[in-house]
Amino acid sequence: MSTAAAPGIDDRVLDELAQVVGADHLLTAKPARLHRARVPAPFPVHRWAEHTPDAVVLPASTEEVAEVIRVANRHRVPVVPRAGGTGLTDGAVPLRHGILLDLKRLDAIFEVDLEDRTATVGAGVNMLKLNEVLGKHGLIYPDDPASYPCSLVGGRIGTGGWSLVGSRYGHTRDLVLSFVHVLPTGDVIRAGDGGARKISKSSTGYNLKHLLMGHQGTLGVATEATLKLYPRPEAELSPFWAFEDYDTAHRALREIVRCDVATFAGAVLFDEQKVAYLRRDDEAYIPQPANVRALVCAVLYGNEDEVRAGGTRLLRTARANGARYLGDEISEGDWAARHDRYATPLHGRTKAGQVVPMSWHCEDAAVNWTRLPAVRREWHRIVDELRRDSDVFDDWGMFAYTSARTGVDYLTEIDVGIWEQELDDAAWEAWVRAKREIAQVAVAHGGSISACHGACRAGEVDIVPEELGGAYDVMRQLKRTLDPNNVMNPGKYGLDGAYQEDLT
Amino acid sequence: MSFRPREETVPPEARQITDVAVMRFEHIYEVDPKLMQEHVRQQPFPNWDTLRVAHSRHDHLAWMHTHWATVVVSGDALLRELDAETGPAD
Repeated sequence: MSTAAAPGIDDRVLDELAQVVGADHLLTAKPARLHRARVPAPFPVHRWAEHTPDAVVLPASTEEVAEVIRVANRHRVPVVPRAGGTGLTDGAVPLRHGILLDLKRLDAIFEVDLEDRTATVGAGVNMLKLNEVLGKHGLIYPDDPASYPCSLVGGRIGTGGWSLVGSRYGHTRDLVLSFVHVLPTGDVIRAGDGGARKISKSSTGYNLKHLLMGHQGTLGVATEATLKLYPRPEAELSPFWAFEDYDTAHRALREIVRCDVATFAGAVLFDEQKVAYLRRDDEAYIPQPANVRALVCAVLYGNEDEVRAGGTRLLRTARANGARYLGDEISEGDWAARHDRYATPLHGRTKAGQVVPMSWHCEDAAVNWTRLPAVRREWHRIVDELRRDSDVFDDWGMFAYTSARTGVDYLTEIDVGIWEQELDDAAWEAWVRAKREIAQVAVAHGGSISACHGACRAGEVDIVPEELGGAYDVMRQLKRTLDPNNVMNPGKYGLDGAYQEDLT
Repeated sequence: MSFRPREETVPPEARQITDVAVMRFEHIYEVDPKLMQEHVRQQPFPNWDTLRVAHSRHDHLAWMHTHWATVVVSGDALLRELDAETGPAD
């Protein structure tokens, strides 16, 4: 079977793309292409050229997106969709060059339905900007990643996004009712619960909505979405508590979640290495006494009387479980900053303590509450070994965020500073080995490689077949069926193998 | 902003807060300059700009609260109510 594995685009393809999107929206200059080669995920900066697209297109409609993909199929050229480019896996990073499909011009708000409380928007709409419009109507679309001010609805669908307030409102998969999806062949369908646009529960047919979310651009591209809206909260409360050790904080977290407060929107556990990291540079934590070694925060949104009642219950429970309230200033300031982690200036330390410029890399997994301490120990051991051998890496500690209001599982992340200017092949290989081990630990403890980012990054992607078992074979069959020419984001998730073996 | 340029280019005396951080303006912490000698050097920064950056950050955080909800409930106030009901924690 012929595939689009070979890089390079000839003038004939460029002419056809220009006819589709207009010459002004076809970019071939080097800066436009280099810009769109990487995301904030780990990236081998010393091999930047390997990931540069051959051309960038900025379509303005579903029809233009579909036609771009048809051109790609005719000429067997790879297509990589990109929305905000804020993903923490490498879904938007081209592995085979080709056409970069930038969705930012799909930025229309088509409808705000005040009666059924939905909004229909283009894939290039940002949640913050959408909520500025919805706020005038007393409504909110509560999809809240750490990239809230800069990520886009289309990227949230393509990556299966996780939300900070998902324990109250659900995550992207719950908040998106349906979407217009361009398949890898260029055919256009609506994916939802059933075939309707604004239905949250249907039993008609297969549930294609979940299949076509979180595929990292390997199964096509969403161009327009209909979203579920909530009343804008009257009140917010975000208490932060300090603990003398991680184990006490871990137990207190369980008790706080078990309060089952209706306005509870999420909780976060900071481990000892995270507190030590914050104590270097973060204005909230620099002055904290030395006996502050772990933290928990919770956040509540809803009607003011309910937030007050629920908050009182959480404060009482936290106090009974060894917590010390850090005060309103830290609590309110730190929570507000969590909506926008991408604005954080970043630097790390050499082992001698000197400041070096570092970028932030975050390895995540979904882990049950009971397994958090063991996973934490093993992940820090892996990063400690990296740091022992090289100043390129710095352990910035771990967070664990509730994914659901019952507290069953947590988005668990270890943050690692990387001195990118010093990356070379040896350091990159060490990093990829470490990522593979980090993923193996999560799976060995009954978890999943990623709760939020996706699992197609180098290293961890090798463990995906182990985690998914027979389901991985189904993934490959689906990929080959829906994308017969392997044009959509080839190379991701090891899916090139679907075209090289007899899968029958 | 000060009247004379030199008053903006001479920062207030640093006070050591921890072994890695100093403070020149109230509640604005800086990395201890001795940790910025080899790979990243500190740059001259006018006082007004330091304050502008800090104030802008506070403005941004305040904006984010009002973006998400009308009222921010005070945990300190709820704790005082709790203490009044049950007595303060040990």
